[in-house]
Amino acid sequence: MVIIGVFSFEYASSWTFLYPLPQLSANAWGTAGALLYLLGMLILGVGFLLFYLDAGRAIIKNYGSLGKGLGWDVISGKKSEDNAPSSTVIASTMVIIVNVTALTAGATVLIMNVINVVNPAFTVDPLLAKNLTYAFGHIFANSIIYMGVIAVYEILQEYTKRPWKVNKVFLVAWSMSTFFTLLIYTHHLLMDSVMPAWMLIMGQALSYANGLPVLVVTAYGALMIVYKSGIKWDIGSALIFTSMFGWVVGVVPAIVDATIVVNEVMHNTKWVPGHFHMYMALGACAMIFGFMYYLARQDSHIKTNMADRFGFIGYMIAIIGLSGSFLMSGALSTPRRWATHIPEWMGPAIFGGVAGILALVATTIFVIHFIRFILIRNKTDERTGMNKKQLA
Amino acid sequence: MRTALYGVVLFMLLILPPVRHAMESVMIVHMLVQIPLLIVSGWLMAGYFQVKVERFFNKWNGNGAAGIILVVMITIYWMVPRTLDEALVSGHIELFKFLSLPFLTGVVLRDSWRKINPVIKSFIMFNYISMFGLLAWIYIDAPVRVCNSYLETDQTILGWGFLVITVGLILYILQNVFTDQSGSAF
Repeated sequence: MVIIGVFSFEYASSWTFLYPLPQLSANAWGTAGALLYLLGMLILGVGFLLFYLDAGRAIIKNYGSLGKGLGWDVISGKKSEDNAPSSTVIASTMVIIVNVTALTAGATVLIMNVINVVNPAFTVDPLLAKNLTYAFGHIFANSIIYMGVIAVYEILQEYTKRPWKVNKVFLVAWSMSTFFTLLIYTHHLLMDSVMPAWMLIMGQALSYANGLPVLVVTAYGALMIVYKSGIKWDIGSALIFTSMFGWVVGVVPAIVDATIVVNEVMHNTKWVPGHFHMYMALGACAMIFGFMYYLARQDSHIKTNMADRFGFIGYMIAIIGLSGSFLMSGALSTPRRWATHIPEWMGPAIFGGVAGILALVATTIFVIHFIRFILIRNKTDERTGMNKKQLA
Repeated sequence: MRTALYGVVLFMLLILPPVRHAMESVMIVHMLVQIPLLIVSGWLMAGYFQVKVERFFNKWNGNGAAGIILVVMITIYWMVPRTLDEALVSGHIELFKFLSLPFLTGVVLRDSWRKINPVIKSFIMFNYISMFGLLAWIYIDAPVRVCNSYLETDQTILGWGFLVITVGLILYILQNVFTDQSGSAF
């Protein structure tokens, strides 16, 4: 429904669908496109909600409560660190809490937009709508990295043959991120001068406090688990390890932009795409691609080759180039979301375009590897591990 | 069966004209007291129906899905402002209210709630949190009078009522997931 709404009915409010934009399109799109998109997003949310509720139910069943899933009984000293939940359970609990909250807020604002699209005379407070939209959107986007990091915790343990030990600092960091992720969406509203000042100050202060604890314990943990472990590097482990770098450097422009005085001049420039391309492509996507390579290695006899190594190096260079071009454009005050550029803005944009082509090539190599894995896996007998020719 | 009798007594009380008129004269009482009490009366009567027409329930509501969908649909219908107006001016709609809420919602809800999967139960709870939150927003923030029969101030009060219920549901969920549930049917 989202795809049909966007491509067939030319709905183009972007993911933010900020009220009253779905209805107020200046004839760029009509009711059908807006309704297809909004209801499609709603159904998507229902699917995710069912998934998170099931995962939450499993954690409560096994650990007693979501608090225990976050290791609060270990933090309070009722249980020893040796009996703490695994890092995967802790990260999953955090994501369940924040995303269920996000989806509930998102459903409310989506339906309100639907009502406004059907009956434009029915208007509501746009500032409350914006708050709810970002309470949904920021949390949901932010949680991607927290879901991806589960792959880092699990896969680096496999590669290094060392356990990723959970301690109290790790647990406190994840609990802090659980609370702060829910509260920091206001850093998207720093330019809304009508917002209460305390909410904006909270957005700045907690943005600093949110990103760093989990990032530091995870990046430091990754360095420690790898250090002198005799790890055998391949594309999967390299992507997973490099994702830590992407996360660390990608979060820096975000924290800079979450500073009110900086945000006033940088937020509507390409600085922000610079942040999220680095954070998502070099952080979250590298985790996902690393997981794909790990899965292929574990579940088949597929071998990586020169193309994959080229893909890895090309991907890293391309994303650094692409994100760097956005950040440079931002530093030059190039506005974002503009269809056309004046000549003075074109230098970094062209550089970014070339980097984007390299990123496309590298990603295609990753995808081809994964398709090859699926084809080989489908031909392999599950019981014997032999392919159909060998069985014959 | 005593519970079912309580349900019948409650239902009879609710249909008494003075009680009915008194409840329907105030918007928040109409929406957040009369309608829920009608559902409660059906819930209390459900035991009788579950025994008398057990085969019917087993055949048509085996896993509780059909019943819970019916419950959600009917409750959504009765949350729409226009239906409150229609119940006041149309005898048929008023009759539908007094039949649908106890017998198609209360009775069916009790039969379905014990049958549906815990994940679906949680989903239903979150669905109502979103819906009640939305209604709180609509009734508090609406720029127009949404019911002919009630004043704008009445709808604002109703909106705050919905907000209280939303907050209550959120607190219930929070205490449920953050207290020890070891050994429960989660």
